[in-house]
Amino acid sequence: MAGHIARRLLYSIFVLWGALTIVFVAVRVIPGDPAQMMLGSSGTQADVAALRHRLGLDAPIGIQYVRYLAGAARLDFGQSLRLEEPAVQAVNERLPATGLLAASAMALGVTVGLPLGVLAALRPRSAADYLVSVASLAGQSVPNFWLGIMFILIFARELRWLPSAGIGGLSHLVLPAVTLALLLVGVLTRLVRSGLVEVAQEDYIRSAYAKGLARVAVIRKHALPNVLIPVITVVGLQLGNLLAGAVIVETVFAWPGAGRLLIEAINNRDYPVVQVAVLFITISFILVNLLVDMSYAYLDPRVRYQ
Amino acid sequence: MTDDTRATRGRLTRRQVLGGAIATAGAAAGGILLGTPEARGAAAAAAGDLRVALPAEIVSLDPMGASAAEESVRVVAAHIFDSLVVRNTRTREFLPALATKWTTPDPNTWEFTIRSGVKFHDGTPLTARDVKVSLDRMIGQPGPLAPLWTAVAGTDAPSDTTVRVRTKTPLGTMLSNLSLTSILPADKMNAAGFFNQPIGSGPFRVSSYRPQGDLALAANTSYWGPAPGVKTLTFRDIPEVASRVTALITGEIDLTYALPPDQVASLQSNNAIRIQSTPSYRYYFIWMNIKHEPFTDVRVRQAMTYAVDVPTILNTLLKGSAQRMTAPIPSTVFGYAPQRLYTYDPGKAKQLLTEAGHPNGFDATMIWNPDSGPQDREIAQALFSYWNAVGARIKDGQAERGQWLTKLLALDWDMDFQTNIVTTGDADFVLRRLYTTSANRMGYSSPVVDHVLDLAAQSANQETRKVYYGQVCEIIWDDAVGLYPFELTATYVSRKAVQGFVPTPSSPVFTAVTVQR
Repeated sequence: MAGHIARRLLYSIFVLWGALTIVFVAVRVIPGDPAQMMLGSSGTQADVAALRHRLGLDAPIGIQYVRYLAGAARLDFGQSLRLEEPAVQAVNERLPATGLLAASAMALGVTVGLPLGVLAALRPRSAADYLVSVASLAGQSVPNFWLGIMFILIFARELRWLPSAGIGGLSHLVLPAVTLALLLVGVLTRLVRSGLVEVAQEDYIRSAYAKGLARVAVIRKHALPNVLIPVITVVGLQLGNLLAGAVIVETVFAWPGAGRLLIEAINNRDYPVVQVAVLFITISFILVNLLVDMSYAYLDPRVRYQ
Repeated sequence: MTDDTRATRGRLTRRQVLGGAIATAGAAAGGILLGTPEARGAAAAAAGDLRVALPAEIVSLDPMGASAAEESVRVVAAHIFDSLVVRNTRTREFLPALATKWTTPDPNTWEFTIRSGVKFHDGTPLTARDVKVSLDRMIGQPGPLAPLWTAVAGTDAPSDTTVRVRTKTPLGTMLSNLSLTSILPADKMNAAGFFNQPIGSGPFRVSSYRPQGDLALAANTSYWGPAPGVKTLTFRDIPEVASRVTALITGEIDLTYALPPDQVASLQSNNAIRIQSTPSYRYYFIWMNIKHEPFTDVRVRQAMTYAVDVPTILNTLLKGSAQRMTAPIPSTVFGYAPQRLYTYDPGKAKQLLTEAGHPNGFDATMIWNPDSGPQDREIAQALFSYWNAVGARIKDGQAERGQWLTKLLALDWDMDFQTNIVTTGDADFVLRRLYTTSANRMGYSSPVVDHVLDLAAQSANQETRKVYYGQVCEIIWDDAVGLYPFELTATYVSRKAVQGFVPTPSSPVFTAVTVQR
């Protein structure tokens, strides 16, 4: 097991290098120049040239790439072009907020999605099943920027139950976390439901009933564990959607997280911040995927890593 | 949106509300009850606390940095720092601030007497040396405001209370430039991290700040000027308009501005909200690239102007949030002179196009970037259809901001549609920065304009400068270098608890504001 983890982490270095290279190229390929963006339409040609030099953007692309990789090895991506603080620090300061939001949404999504899926699967084609299925489809389909604004209008403006924007107490977390979680709830509910309905046809489920087990016990001990592996896989994969959603949700709810930082950095061609943010996202993907893999061994006794 | 789809969305909403309620209950059952009821913010905030949401994020607290020209940076800088002079936006006069008086012994020398007894927030006295070093930093830094200072030869501080600025050629905009220049503590301003929690001499000191996040200020109790009206001043960062309006309605913030017209309209019936408007320094314009066919011909440019029904667009799209522009610069700006209006006349536009050799019209592209101003998308569509009606088939060259800026500066366009802010409130900032031959921003070149603008820039006599800028306004207007349809209104919305706020064309000041809860 330890050997397997070590090997996976070693491969990860190549994944990181690949991600770093892709983002290095991508930010430079999109039109728009950071120095120009910083000085706006009032900057003179001479000022733009001077600023490009100060930012090191006038160096040959190869040199820039080598400097960049050398910096990345030391976790030093230079100053944010716009925020006048180191890019790593800028992202670091905002990661906890995004982490809190994503983790809350993930927890909310699993604790709600799983039981709802079971509820729907208990009586296929019942009213409860249809209700849950339609609701989860809606949860999956409604764009979260629209949903977020609707939540603000209803719960903050009309009902005044919750604050509309910013970070603070738990009350500030509710609306953004629920908005973000709904997508996951939709995906999980449908997955758990279809998984359980399928498993219900299996021989071992019939045997379990035959030996006199109650329905709750059959589902809990025999059906659910067999559905969990695809569920865990999807939860891991949903991390990408959660982070993409966080970018929008953070903007709508003025949540001071790294997603908004990334969007602003892209809009302003703040290369260092974009690079750091993408690196951190890549790392979180690698770690989550590793965790998902590890969980297979725990959930399914047949899976062994050598 | 049709009624049908609205109804569908309504149903979806209720379903989602239900889902949200279940989700909430499932995960955070007890937690919500413990959550502070900040939705009732108005009651929770202490009296004497003013919370403002600016229209854009506060990128940096460095008043001379790369973002120095951004509105939000200017607003907060004016509260943390002092400048030598301040402009009265009503009378357009310059009033003493850190400088108690100033003289010009000769046209190339300005001598300022620095107010004595002024202290920075950390208690150290502010002297002429701080002023000199701050000016040097402003002039030497390649920032967006540096071009204002190219005429300066040097600065010195012969005594603790005297600062002298020498110029290569007379600098008519000296006072307007100085009103944008913050004075920083000479010995500290270059320390690493200084601008995370900068020290100034202004009416408020920085309590806490995170770039792109909230900024908390506290009243400077030993301020040399009139004491601030509130104990704390907080700038909340709320990027999404709907959230910002909601925060105002629920009392989470006390004041905001630069809302889209439809949002302002929705607040009009709210008894707890006050709406204050004043003409701003911001305006819409459309440039035509004078080096690109067919805009090389003044008749084509005039035809484009006659083709557009400005009052109709104003009344349908920008009601209450703009007024018709009567010069190439807004009426609020020093140097403004009203011009003869181009009346809507599509027949005349067609005739001019025919005379210019385009009886069957022509094709061109107009670049613009979304979110540059209120209703910009709708205005662009209206423009296209007006022009199309006279045979000018203008293609939509909408581009993302970075891409648009690159094209704009490279003169890689036929037409350009955007807003602009006269940051200094002085005609020089627009006319000389944009319309001279050497500026080469839309290919316009007029030796007379170049000459008169130089004369104006080098004159220290404000009345003379005004006459010069009036002449330039007229030439640019008659040459139809661009269309100048609307000057925007600055609309401030605040809760009625906010007292004593005076709306300004740009960069609102909150020092005198009090809050009565």
